[in-house]
Amino acid sequence: MIAIVGVGETAPTRRSEKDIRALTVEAALSALEDAGLAPSDVDGIVTDAGIMPTTVPHEWMAAQLGIDAHFSAALSYGGTGIVAAPLLAEMAIRQGLAEVVLFYFGVDWGSRPGGPYAFHHIYPAKMTFEKPYGFSGQPSYFALWARRYMHEYGLQEEDLGRIAVAQRENALRHGGGQVSTPLELPDYFNSRMISDPLRAADCCLITDGAGAYIMTSMERARDCRKKPVEVRGVGYASEPITGDDIFTQKSDLLRLPGVARATSQALRAADITLNDVDFAEIYDCFTISCLMQIEDLGFCGKGEAAAFIREKGISINGGLPVNTHGGFLSYSYRLGIEHVVEAVRQLRGEAGEAQLADPKLGIVTGLSVPDYGLLVLGA
Amino acid sequence: MQPEFERFFDAVRGSRLAFPYCTACGRYHWYPMKRCPHCRSNDIEWRPVSGRGQLYSWTVVRHPFDPALAEALPYVVALVEFPDAPGIRLVSNLVDIDLDRLHIGMAVEPVYPDTASNEPVVRFRPITQG
Repeated sequence: MIAIVGVGETAPTRRSEKDIRALTVEAALSALEDAGLAPSDVDGIVTDAGIMPTTVPHEWMAAQLGIDAHFSAALSYGGTGIVAAPLLAEMAIRQGLAEVVLFYFGVDWGSRPGGPYAFHHIYPAKMTFEKPYGFSGQPSYFALWARRYMHEYGLQEEDLGRIAVAQRENALRHGGGQVSTPLELPDYFNSRMISDPLRAADCCLITDGAGAYIMTSMERARDCRKKPVEVRGVGYASEPITGDDIFTQKSDLLRLPGVARATSQALRAADITLNDVDFAEIYDCFTISCLMQIEDLGFCGKGEAAAFIREKGISINGGLPVNTHGGFLSYSYRLGIEHVVEAVRQLRGEAGEAQLADPKLGIVTGLSVPDYGLLVLGA
Repeated sequence: MQPEFERFFDAVRGSRLAFPYCTACGRYHWYPMKRCPHCRSNDIEWRPVSGRGQLYSWTVVRHPFDPALAEALPYVVALVEFPDAPGIRLVSNLVDIDLDRLHIGMAVEPVYPDTASNEPVVRFRPITQG
């Protein structure tokens, strides 16, 4: 068993004066400070395998911080890598390859030309068969899913609106996010249509920023500054479909790949069921993907997420608090590192105005199609 | 361009639609792959289809994700299925359409570029009754 003993993040902002390497170093140092550890204590580095290797590589971080690393590994890209990284850290720690493992992640999609849209230029079929028709930009991909979902399950626009409203409510209570204006359902309906049925309020923010967390054995964790947060279980799964195909060709377009297997793997490792979970930090790149995960994770049946959200409530006061900091929709969009940071703070009782009443177990999900990751954390 | 993509554009230049079909397992796949993703066979041929299809999903794009298309906004991105090529969904645009009449399942037919055009794009329009 390993623990997360330190978390750090830069202040979320649309455009930062600092570049991605400066932001990522700042987050890593902040996580080490939080753990009461020095950079020289770190002997292992784990990141996602898609974004960090080309922007803030391990060897650069090691040289900048003075880390004599014995272990360096990477998994998936973006969201899945961010939440499934403890799988690699746990392997390294258990095998004696490393004692203290640093995970870091940052994006500069607020200031980088092309922003998040340019990321999809890595897919040759998308560039060849889709871009000429103006099908580029993630909101359009998820809009096709949302439209089809409406057709199959009778989803209404206000069902999506309720997610945006709940997360804004959480973000305003938290107070540290990128957005500070209230959002109620009428405001949701006034939000600019981007790619219908998705409005601006259905889409994640765009952020420059970074975050980091530190992992070590439970034994060593007891000597750290803060109460350790246990990694109870990690799930990672992928399906045999390419990033080119996932938004249009998957035979069951409305079921997210990997979720069922990653979830059962993580819950089995943690020896819990979803009923035991006090909160969920869900990869909410869009309202529709948050909604689909609520049912694909198993909180309710397929097609039932809208009723679940309406009846149970997903704000901090709700039956299943989701994205207690406001999520990508209202806090920041750093592909999930902020979700891990927030989950750790909740379990430590450090979440300020957004604090839940004594939570014991939380999950964090990572979506980077066709990969999926699920992290179970315990107080 | 990936070499396995080229046959699609050859067909469109001839005002036809064709998709990769595996003669070993009898299934279509999309997008084109090096081998059949269902059975790994190399026995892939491109089969012509009628082009008549149905709208599987759609969105009206209103934001200039691609600055080059800012003047074209709003436009309809369509995901089209073909009864004679099961398992394929083609991304395209829907033209000659009243936005209020868009609906899933709508019958559509291809609109090929005129022969003077060297732009190998195929768009779709509703099949009008009668």
